[in-house]
Amino acid sequence: MDNAWTITFDEPVAYEAGLLFQYRLLAARQAGKIPDTVVLLQHTPTVTLGNRGRDNYLLKSEQEYADLGIDLFQVERGGDVTFHGPGQWVLYPILHLGGNEADAHGYLFNLEEIAIQTLATFSVDGFRREGKSGTWTEQGKIAAIGFRLKRWVSFHGMSFNVENELAGFETIVPCGLEGEPVTTLSKLLGEDMPSMPAVGSKLLDCFEEVMGRNLIRYQSMDLLPEALMACDPPRF
Amino acid sequence: MAIPEDFFYSKSHEWVSFEGEVATIGITDFAQSQLSDLTFVELPEVGTTFAAGDEAAVVESVKAAADVYAPIAGEIVEINPVLEDAPETINADAFGAGWLFKLKVMDESELDVLMDANSYEEICPQS
Repeated sequence: MDNAWTITFDEPVAYEAGLLFQYRLLAARQAGKIPDTVVLLQHTPTVTLGNRGRDNYLLKSEQEYADLGIDLFQVERGGDVTFHGPGQWVLYPILHLGGNEADAHGYLFNLEEIAIQTLATFSVDGFRREGKSGTWTEQGKIAAIGFRLKRWVSFHGMSFNVENELAGFETIVPCGLEGEPVTTLSKLLGEDMPSMPAVGSKLLDCFEEVMGRNLIRYQSMDLLPEALMACDPPRF
Repeated sequence: MAIPEDFFYSKSHEWVSFEGEVATIGITDFAQSQLSDLTFVELPEVGTTFAAGDEAAVVESVKAAADVYAPIAGEIVEINPVLEDAPETINADAFGAGWLFKLKVMDESELDVLMDANSYEEICPQS
């Protein structure tokens, strides 16, 4: 099994800082300076629109988002509008998908599978829905997906609702799907709720299983491998 | 889907078919299958020139967006008019009706970097 890195941030990261970190990893991965790398983090409250994101799915004005303390970004990933905030794990796999190592199932299927298998370890039934991507439960959507490929290296990825407040989702039409509820693992499990680190660790375990990679686990910036810190910041 | 024997290929999963000094370019069947159902294609304007490896187009499915690169240098002489209303044509016929754009080749010495069908097949995952 190929080795890959994973870097987990314990504290919520501002969206823009997370994006710049992804760009740095993307450039380093494209240049072959680092192996496949997965970032696991939580964001401070942010609404993002995808590449073709339609702003009629935003239910507030720019000023109202600012007043609510929610950052607003249009980003280059596929997919529509979504919300990120503390208590939600975000998985950003920076993977080279173009060669022999690519899985015939396809990357989108595999991301959904990671969420389904993670839910299964907590005895929650997660499933796909025809024509609607992401991962769903009986109570609503729990994982949202949107990614970009540049030179067949992925960035952006998947968010998985653990114990986040759902109020942020009420300011948007998530993924442009009207009338579809959003849920969290804590709503599904109630008192038997595991900790954020425990859920994060399960997401990474399932990533290893589904993507067929062995993860070497790093914790936040201060312990980053030297090879990464030595990489030039990208120019976009 | 079989990989056409008489086309050439790039590492980033574009195909190239030559007719005189004009090259038709598209994405391979492997590329479209990894992206699933395409919903939007952003194509370059006729008259734009690209160096080999430049970003020339973007293809998008519901959840994914991927850059397409000019495999060789050239000037855009035609774009596929079908794709604006029917991007799914690429999923249905990646090597035919789903072509993206045509380039007038600027530097024939560059053609050496392209792979033939056999070499390309070797870099694709075995399903």
